[in-house]
Amino acid sequence: MFMTRRQALLSSAGVMLAGLLPALPAAAQAPAATPRKGGVLTIHLGSEQRILNPALRASTGVYVITSKIIEGLVDLGTSGRPEPVLATSWEASEDGKTVTFKLRDGVKWHDGKPFTSADVQYSAMEQWKVHLNYGTTLQLYLEAVDTPDPLTAVFRYSRPMPLNLLLRALCDLGYIVPKHVFAGSNVLENPANTAPIGTGPFKFVEYQRGQYVIAERNPDYWREGFPYLDRIVWRFITDRAAATAALETGAVQISAYNGLPLADLDRLRTDPRFEVSTRGVEANVFNNTLEFNTRRKELADVRVRRAIVHAIDVPFFLENFLYGLGKPATGPIPSLSPEFFPNNPVPYPFDKAKAEALLDEAGFRRGAGGVRFTLRMVPIQNGEDVPLLATFVQQSLQQVGIRVEIVQLDIAGALTAVYRDWNFDLATGWHQYRGDPAVSTTVWYRSGSPKGAPWTNQYGWQSDTVDQLIDRAATELDPARRKALYAEFVKAVNEEIPVAMLTERPFYTATSNKVQNHHTTPRWDSGDCHDTWLAP
Amino acid sequence: MRILSLALRRLAASLPTLLLILVGLFLLLQLAPGDTVDALMAQMGGGDPAQMEQLRSFYGLDAPVLVQLARYLWRLVRLDLGFSAIYGKPVSSVILERLPVTLLLMGISLCFAFAAGMALGVLAARRANKWPDALISTLGLIFYATPSFWFGMMGIVVFAIKLSWLPAGGFEEIGTGATGLARVADIAWHLVLPVSTLALIFLATYLRIMRASMLEVLSLDFVRTARAKGLSQTGVLLRHVLRNALLPGLTLIGLQAGTMLGGSVVVESVFNLPGLGRLAYESVVQRDLNTLLGIVFVSALLVISVNFVVDLLYAKLDPRIVADR
Amino acid sequence: MSLLRRYLRSPAAVGGLVLLLLVVGMAFSAGWVFPRDPLSLAGRPLQWPGASPRFWLGTDNTGRDIAAQVFHGARVSLLIGIVATAISIGIGIVVGALAGFYGGWVDTVLMRVAEAFQTLPNFILLLVLVAVFGSDIQTVTVAIGIVSWPPSARLTRAEFLSLRSREFVQACRVLGMRDARIIFREILPNALPPVIVYASVIMATAILLESALAFLNLSDPNVASWGNLIGAGKNVLRVQWYVSAIPGVAILLTVLAVSLVGQGLNDALNPRLRSR
Repeated sequence: MFMTRRQALLSSAGVMLAGLLPALPAAAQAPAATPRKGGVLTIHLGSEQRILNPALRASTGVYVITSKIIEGLVDLGTSGRPEPVLATSWEASEDGKTVTFKLRDGVKWHDGKPFTSADVQYSAMEQWKVHLNYGTTLQLYLEAVDTPDPLTAVFRYSRPMPLNLLLRALCDLGYIVPKHVFAGSNVLENPANTAPIGTGPFKFVEYQRGQYVIAERNPDYWREGFPYLDRIVWRFITDRAAATAALETGAVQISAYNGLPLADLDRLRTDPRFEVSTRGVEANVFNNTLEFNTRRKELADVRVRRAIVHAIDVPFFLENFLYGLGKPATGPIPSLSPEFFPNNPVPYPFDKAKAEALLDEAGFRRGAGGVRFTLRMVPIQNGEDVPLLATFVQQSLQQVGIRVEIVQLDIAGALTAVYRDWNFDLATGWHQYRGDPAVSTTVWYRSGSPKGAPWTNQYGWQSDTVDQLIDRAATELDPARRKALYAEFVKAVNEEIPVAMLTERPFYTATSNKVQNHHTTPRWDSGDCHDTWLAP
Repeated sequence: MRILSLALRRLAASLPTLLLILVGLFLLLQLAPGDTVDALMAQMGGGDPAQMEQLRSFYGLDAPVLVQLARYLWRLVRLDLGFSAIYGKPVSSVILERLPVTLLLMGISLCFAFAAGMALGVLAARRANKWPDALISTLGLIFYATPSFWFGMMGIVVFAIKLSWLPAGGFEEIGTGATGLARVADIAWHLVLPVSTLALIFLATYLRIMRASMLEVLSLDFVRTARAKGLSQTGVLLRHVLRNALLPGLTLIGLQAGTMLGGSVVVESVFNLPGLGRLAYESVVQRDLNTLLGIVFVSALLVISVNFVVDLLYAKLDPRIVADR
Repeated sequence: MSLLRRYLRSPAAVGGLVLLLLVVGMAFSAGWVFPRDPLSLAGRPLQWPGASPRFWLGTDNTGRDIAAQVFHGARVSLLIGIVATAISIGIGIVVGALAGFYGGWVDTVLMRVAEAFQTLPNFILLLVLVAVFGSDIQTVTVAIGIVSWPPSARLTRAEFLSLRSREFVQACRVLGMRDARIIFREILPNALPPVIVYASVIMATAILLESALAFLNLSDPNVASWGNLIGAGKNVLRVQWYVSAIPGVAILLTVLAVSLVGQGLNDALNPRLRSR
């Protein structure tokens, strides 16, 4: 009895000691703490992308899952710049038309076969170039990928490809999939699209549609000693309020990319159990847009467009509707992109008097009931803030005599109405900036996009100057000259303002403080988590 | 064997209705703005026209409408529900994955609503026109008048957020790997709020029906005869009255099976349950025709079978009625 | 008048009537009590009820006055309820009358169509109609009317089936009256009462359906409906739960009132059943 009592005392002391650790959050957060192996990390996802192949679908919803399983040539590291992953070094030729990548040796796919340059060639030519959204544009001038030996891949372009553009874009658009799994099959129907095979720190285990995806540690991972975690579980919770509840009860530990309602993000900011910040998401910035259909006679006049932007008090909107989670935008290139940000001021700040004056000057005086004219606005429901902005714009424009009717459509209907049928006067949605203006930003302004292509210039507006600036900048090899060209581009589009970028907003992530060593790179949530660990 | 032949005959009789529903819905959805590729683009956050063309031909969306309809019907005849554009899987497996959750939710809600409604209806009828009756009837009406999603949301606020007694949503805890009894208990705990929400509305209707038919039957001759013979109140109740009063309630189950699936769309949304209701909503928003038509097909079959079972039970309970009319 | 007296004998029915008059009163007076557009920005968002004297029921997450939206929302809900019910009954009566009067293959075809509508879950059909035809308030109202017609058709048909073999109908036939006249002038007025009473059920359902659509963000955002307000409050449910709670109570009371009035009417019109 005595022995058992003492044993009991000892074991309870052990329990007490273990129990003490979580009560000292400072100690748990100390950088000197040794990483603990083991544990299950649960990540929340608000929507289900259903195809787990980042070489086919470029979307943060896909990356959050697949980047832990599949790797690319490069990824953004703690320095904020592209660092070697499956590619160990690279160099570009003088004329910019050839880029040679040296690949890492000794890397194996999850099914045991070796990773070689043939996989890079296949991924680039058969998937990125043919199927990948934004990848097709990026690799438009890619002629071939030569593979002189199993560890060298040579990308040959017919037009100069700026190296900084390629490297930055490859962080998102450069995932490598195994040739031996995909070659010869119908790419879109291949079962590996929902049971991915990669070279990453975690191996795919299970995908239960509508519920979860599970991956477990890859024991043969090429980075020795990594990963720390045993498993990662991704839970699909589409109702955001439910997601907050899940985070607070510990059912999930991370919710990224504004997966929680803004009200909850604001509330959890001061909760000591969580970190709510933009740390580790600097690579992803988005704007709330206001798009004009310049086919409409009133909107064809640039003074009217400028007046409309002048009528919207963006700082008020940010402060009162978005809990201050953002700032006014100065153009399509955000301030969080130092390589390209032209450091210009907000083009049309809030000025109701000026708005009224411009509208009068353009010849649209107030008529019956104080209304000048009526516009139809289509919100493109990317997030909860889009209807809020739509309402705010409606209320703001009412003050200057423009009546706005909001047309409520679900997202497929909205995209069709705006980008295919051109059946709108105003539209509001999101513009996502992906690290380099050439990836997905300039396409909003360049003419020539066919009808029906979403998030492109379908406003009936065109400018030869802007087109030329875009084309020159896309092939300019000197980074300084590129930056200058984009500065001119921003100036030109701000002058004409066919689409107004109203707010500049980073994505917020809510992370439980149990997670260690997180958000250390600018696109961490879309990164591989190989060095993440959990405190007990 | 007789039941089987009856069932088959009922199915055959319902075929024109089924066809009407499916063809009608198919044609209706053609008029919707945007197709499944547009919804896919929205999900991905961008795409280019070449990719969209490719996807359209991959899903067979570039063929004329009548050809697509013909293809669909031809597949249906062979009991092939098609391929889901959004899920990248055959529709039948998508539905089979989600069906158990909805069946569980609807089944338990129906039983709960029926049982509770009947019990309360009996109580109300026994004290007809006195205050317990007024209280129960009014309560029933209040439940009927409450918007189900609002009730669900308030339930979450009170029981999950403020009191932390029940989970805020989901079907079960993931990643714990619980099996057997532990898993059943976990699921049951998660379903408490959703079932109460879904059952509440129908409870009111059963309550009223039960009360009304109880009152009607209580005054009939054979009841008075039974009482005269010296049977106790409870005995009379159980033996004779209940049996006859059950009948309208049963009919109602048949009528409401369809409405319940509609109600489950909202309840599954609020509580984040991976069921058919939510799937139906998603497939409308994502314009996934095959999945939506598949769900409608399955739910129609469900309604038809429930009605069939109700008719059989009806015949058993009331020997005056013959099963196949 | 004896109908009124019979109606007033039930306390529940009287309560329902009072409640309904209150809601109608809110709807009528909305323009005077809250003259400004209820959807305009009124003040700082998310103020609690009673926190500011200007906003009795607080403000929602877009800074709109909740009390104003509740009053104006009464108009919307009642209007939707009445119009959708009218459409639903209109379609139902015509279909039921034709099916009941002519019988035969007309009856079979029409009842198959009714069965189709009833087998298909009505909320899903509503979702599809709204996705196809849009979310503006007129479309939503018509769509709700369209998904609700089968029960009134069946009621009408049942009445017609029993009435068409009565003597007065045969007398009309002998007189050489045209079918249309017999249907609409002679039989219909006798067949209407059960349908009219059922109207309250349809109206209650219509209000609930619109609010469910609004909750899913599929209703008209240019209109101050109670459902829109509940949907808006979804995102701030944890702290500012009153944004969703208040309009929910409003819907509850309105549907309760309509149901009580309907039940009262039913009991008053069928005194035989009531007396127990």
